[in-house]
Amino acid sequence: MGEVIVVTSGKGGVGKTTTTANVGTGLAKLDKKVVLIDTDIGLRNLDVVMGLENRIVYNLVDVIEGSCKINQAFIKVKGFNNFYLLPSAQTRDKTSVTPEQMKELTDRLKESFDYVLIDCPAGIEQGFKNAIAGADRALVVTTPEVSAVRDADRIIGLLEANEIRQTNLIVNRLRMDMVKRGDMMSAADVVEILSIDLIGVVPDDENIVISTNQGVPLVGNNTMAGKAYMNICHRILGEEVPYLDLNKGGFFSKLFKK
Amino acid sequence: MTSAVTIKGNKYGIRVQLSPVVSYEEIKTEMAVKFKDMEHFFGDGKMAISFEGRLLTDRQQEELIGIIHENCNINIVCIIEDDPAREQQFRQGVEQAMMEFDSSTGQFHKGNLRSGQTLEVEKSIIVLGDVNPGASVVSKGNIIILGALKGTAFAGASGNQNCFVVALSMQPMQIRIADSIARSPDRPEAKENHEPKIAFLEEGNIYIEPLNKSVLNDIKL
Repeated sequence: MGEVIVVTSGKGGVGKTTTTANVGTGLAKLDKKVVLIDTDIGLRNLDVVMGLENRIVYNLVDVIEGSCKINQAFIKVKGFNNFYLLPSAQTRDKTSVTPEQMKELTDRLKESFDYVLIDCPAGIEQGFKNAIAGADRALVVTTPEVSAVRDADRIIGLLEANEIRQTNLIVNRLRMDMVKRGDMMSAADVVEILSIDLIGVVPDDENIVISTNQGVPLVGNNTMAGKAYMNICHRILGEEVPYLDLNKGGFFSKLFKK
Repeated sequence: MTSAVTIKGNKYGIRVQLSPVVSYEEIKTEMAVKFKDMEHFFGDGKMAISFEGRLLTDRQQEELIGIIHENCNINIVCIIEDDPAREQQFRQGVEQAMMEFDSSTGQFHKGNLRSGQTLEVEKSIIVLGDVNPGASVVSKGNIIILGALKGTAFAGASGNQNCFVVALSMQPMQIRIADSIARSPDRPEAKENHEPKIAFLEEGNIYIEPLNKSVLNDIKL
């Protein structure tokens, strides 16, 4: 019996989709059977980040409405045997699916997969309710900005109200140089406000932009963000992994170190 | 021409509108006729009644209810007074009693209050956790937060000016006590020491001071 994990944030643009793609790919690299579900109906882009946009034939709404079999809608991810994407519909809207239907779907999927990763849309309306309906666990993504943290706080409250017991925090796009100058909240500051367990800190890394544009998740490669995402995957599996030292390792810091 | 007596009613009660201009005798006769007419309509229910439009003495009220009982089968169980001054008196008495009850009893809440969540209680409240920005605590009594107050706290929500707010770390968006509102400064002072503080109301202003013995001595419960 697998686990259904929803990746959510409240605020848009903080890295839910990037996190879903990278954590999913990371878990698949660790030999887990993984399926990604994009629940952002009408604004799909997980398929773009995964580089699978041109293979979509059927989508989530087709599956829910019974227009196709679930296996027909699955897109096998390049280079993996047990890693699939269930893309979202682009021509419909969030009301095409109900929370009950989503729960039924995820309950069915977790029987045959180790991890069912759900990419949640921004906001707290129908799309959010659909995404969390069947979730056993949540990854809350936030950036170290007051507005994102405020929305994350609201989301955590809603997750608690919906009895999702295990909620972990990912602080995304942290810039150590700004933290040192006192211009940005540190990961510790964010954890103090939100008071949930931290599962990963991802530094702001321009390689992310390159990787999402190319449609190849960077998890596991030698970049700082790639390492950080791999560490998150290990921690999801329950392993203890020390946090990266974000102070060193940057190209420029090496260059300027006297 | 308006009639001497107008009757409005529902399942539980009847409002009898009495004309202030006609004589009392005329009202009595009109009452008898109207209620006789409506005997079947009302049946034999238990009802409340109120007389409006005219001040009646106790004796007159009794007399009119006597007429109702003579002419139909309904059972008048109580008389509702329509007297604003007296209502105000009753209200004050009840609210006073409620307030005393509020500030001397309390309840606990464990856990953080997050953005969008509101905790509303009739009594005083002790929160074991933080009140985050965007969350609010509303109490008719006092509010004590064993954690950080970063959201909104409203003590003495029914108007009790002796209520107070205590927090281990006081960084509120807003504090409201009874009818007064205080908001945080737009530019917070750089590094405040987060010692326990108390907010209280004095002469219409909300003061926030470190929690110490002399402040505690001034608290009236």
